[in-house]
This record gives sequence, structure tokens and C-alpha cells, in this order.
Amino acid sequence: MADWSYIPQVLVSGLGIGCVYGLIGIGFCVIYNASGIVNFAQGAFVMLGGMITQTLFSRHGLPLPVAALVAVAAVAALGVVIERIVVRPLWNRKATMFVMILATLAAQIVIERLTLIVVGDQPKTLPVFTDLPPLMFGSVAIGTQFLWIVGGSLAIVALLAAFFALTRTGKAMRACSINREAAALQGIPVSRMLALAFALSAALGAIAGILITPTQYTAFNVGVPFAISGFIAAIVGGFGRPFGAFLGGLLLGLMQALAIVVFGAGLKTVAALSVLLLFLFIRPSGILGAAK
Amino acid sequence: MNLALASARGVAAPAPILAATGLSARYGHVQALHPLDIRIGEGELVAVLGPNGAGKSTLLRALMGLVSNAGEVRFRDAPLPRQDVVAVASRGIVLVPEGRGIFGPMSVADNLELGAYRLRDKSEFARRRERVLTLFPRLKERLGQIAGSMSGGEQQMLAIGRALMAGPKVLLLDEPSLGLAPRVTDEILETLGLLNREGLAIVLVEQKAPLALKLAARVYLLSLGRIVAELDPRDITSHDDLAQHYLS
Repeated sequence: MADWSYIPQVLVSGLGIGCVYGLIGIGFCVIYNASGIVNFAQGAFVMLGGMITQTLFSRHGLPLPVAALVAVAAVAALGVVIERIVVRPLWNRKATMFVMILATLAAQIVIERLTLIVVGDQPKTLPVFTDLPPLMFGSVAIGTQFLWIVGGSLAIVALLAAFFALTRTGKAMRACSINREAAALQGIPVSRMLALAFALSAALGAIAGILITPTQYTAFNVGVPFAISGFIAAIVGGFGRPFGAFLGGLLLGLMQALAIVVFGAGLKTVAALSVLLLFLFIRPSGILGAAK
Repeated sequence: MNLALASARGVAAPAPILAATGLSARYGHVQALHPLDIRIGEGELVAVLGPNGAGKSTLLRALMGLVSNAGEVRFRDAPLPRQDVVAVASRGIVLVPEGRGIFGPMSVADNLELGAYRLRDKSEFARRRERVLTLFPRLKERLGQIAGSMSGGEQQMLAIGRALMAGPKVLLLDEPSLGLAPRVTDEILETLGLLNREGLAIVLVEQKAPLALKLAARVYLLSLGRIVAELDPRDITSHDDLAQHYLS
């Protein structure tokens, strides 16, 4: 029988990982809204965020904040490259959703294998951002990295909300997702918005990867599980609804954490997929209702 | 009033602001528009009439480069790119599409702002916005409202207002009266007439011929993807005349 006294502690860690799933889920939504494409290279961005930061920090001795900034910028640039050489040519030929998914999945595999060749197959980790003793609330310990994850994620969600609600570029991106043809008629460069969406969602993935790495580890092959969790978060939230995806991520993180206590660690993935199936059966449009 | 005189009978037609030569369009293997010539003078209001399926919308979409098209379109004597909507729109050729194409989930104010997406000059932006809100005072009361929650007439006013935010040199309108109450239609057409008298070149596609005939200096009749007649509205004395062209 499970030890129930662990539950509050487990919920805290579930919330942390849930924020990360949420950020990845938002990444899926941003690209989907701009283009109707489900980008399965999203996991590669998460993996590279942690991996590049780790390499710059441990191997080249850059300070952690600098390493993290360089990694986010590099991954955002890679997002644009993938958009240009993988997605754009197919988009111009009006490829089907299925072809797009396969193409982005292929990009994911290429990046994964290149990473394996460059850095090897050993898992790597980062130190926690601030090495302070955890805060204690009764028997519940809250590590500072948890605060970084939750605080960082909430800050990013707030910044994104402001970007989409207040800036002209953010509004133009929303306009593209509502009606691409009408957006082009206003002189909005729709294809540049697509590249921007890839940069934005790659950066989101990279940040998620950097935030989570100190609590776990990163390796060339962590991308796909993260992408799947983020994808589930996006579906649970209502695909195309960025803030729904964040809520979906939190829900998924909590469910997984509970499943680990109640049923054992081996059933983590089962829990995630059960949440997905539950939503597909009961509320296929997600928490907030699908965007389209 | 000079502009109105210039288009009067007997006076040489104004220099074209937009001229298409051999313009054709296709959807896949379907030739929707056969090669045709069309010319819009500076400050002219040209109506394009024709039965359903005649290719009126396609003509506007071909001018914008929204459909796969061939032929030449010149804007003030410079060739326009043919398959690049953003480039055409940036030159000041602005289409209010069929169904209006407003951004429904966004506010009225945001819709207007996006109409001026290419504009960087803040004082010019404020000036245009003031102008649009003067032309359509109803939008002023609804700036914060979600655009999709407004009535059809208000949405059409927003679509036209958004187009004016771009500072158009040529305004193309695809059936602005579609689905609107007669009184609202009159209000909108009156505004279009006013804009035209101020010198704005307008191409008005309409199914309801009498409305367009009141405003237009010239009329093209379209049928089955071809121009079947170019008329002076004053030569059309009865509906029978027009009906004959529709049927021929």
C-alpha cells in the first residue's frame, strides 16, 4: 500500500514538472496556430536547451545565466532553420498534416542522432540555479529549483500573454491564426510570422529544458518523452489554446506524480496516456475548448 | 468636383490607376476567368456586375494575387507582382473580401490597428483612425467589443474601416451589401460614394445592380468568366436592358 503522507510532497514535484509540460505544450500551440502544423521536433528543442547549456557551462566554463541565454538564442535560431528547410518547402506545396508530422519527426530524429554523435550517450545534468536549503512547510520541502521552474514558467506565460494582447506583432500572429488570407490582405507577412512562431516555440522548449535539467538529467534521447507530454498537455488544454496547454501541463504533471505514489513509478506513462484518453472520450475539445 | 467632371461623358477618361491586360485565373484545372482587360481610372468608381458564378469575386482575387493567375496588372504604370498578396496590399490595393474577413475573436480596435499593419507613423495612424470613426460612428461606441459579436452591418463597416486604415489607393469591395438590411446597405454605399468623391478609386462588385449603378461611373458586366459588356450607367434606362445583358 502506498504511503499517503508523501502526497503533498509529490504534488509539489508534479506541479514543477507540470509547468515544464505546459511550456512545451504552449510551444505546440504557437506553431499550430500560426500554421496548422503539429511540430514533433518540439522535443528536440527541449533536449537541446538543456544540452547546449550544460555543454557551455561544464565544458567551456561559461557562467550559467550566459550559457542559458546563448542556448535559448541558438535553439530559437535552429527553430527558424527547421522552418526554412523542412517546413516551408512542404508548406508551399500544400503538404498534408500527416506529411508535416512525419517531416518534423524526421527532423527530431536527425537532431537526436547528431547530438548523440557530438556529446555521446552519457546523461548530463546542471547544478540547481541557486544552491540554498529547501523551504520547509511542515513535512513538505520546496526546493529552490522548484521555485525557479514555477516562477520562470509563470513569468513566461505572463510575458506571452502580454505579447499576444498588446504588441502589434503579437496581434498579427493571432490574426494569422484566425484567418490567414485576411491577415495577408492587411499586408501582414504571413510567412515571416510562421518563422517567428517557430523561433518562439523553440525558445519556449529550450527554456523548459533548461529549467528542468537540474532536477533530472538530460541526454540525447529525452526529447521524445517531453514532446509527448507537451503534446498531451496541448490536447488536454484544447489544442491551439496556449493557456489551456499550460493548465493541461499542470494537470498532467499532478496526475503523473499521483500515479507514481499510488501505483508505482513504472506506471507514469500509463497515467499520462490515461489522462489523454479520458479527455479524448469525455471532453475532446479540452479544458478551454479547441481553437478551431 | 473636378474628379466627378472628369468622368463625365465627353471628357477623356482619367489616366488608369489600375489596369489589367490579359488577366486570367484558374482554380486547379478550372478556368474561372478567361483572359480579360479591365481598367480603373484615377478617382473612378467602377462597378462589376454579373450573375452568381460569373467570376466577379475571382476577378478581385486575381487582381490581388489571391488565386493562381496569369496576365499583367499595372498600378500607376508599374507592374504589380502577380502571386504575392502581401506585396500587392502594401502598394495600397486593398480588398474587403466576400464575407468581410474580420478577425472575429479580436476587438474592434485591434481589427482597425491590424488594417494599418504596415504603417509606422503614429500621428498618421491616429489621423486615419479618427477619420474611420467619423465615417462610421457606430464603431466608436464598440471599440472594445469583440468584433465577431457585432451585427452584420457593423462588421461590414469594420471591414471597410479596417481597409481604410491601410490608406488605400484603390479599394476593392466584394459584395458589401451581402446579407445586410437595405437601410444599412444604403448607409454603407453612401459612405463609399463620399470616399469616391474625395478621390478614392473604388471597384465595387455587386449582385444587386441598382445599388451599384447609382454610384458607378462605369460598369463592367461579367458572365461565365468573361467581360460581356462595358457600359455607362446612364445608358441603362431600364432593368430590361441589364437583364438582356445578363442573359446574353
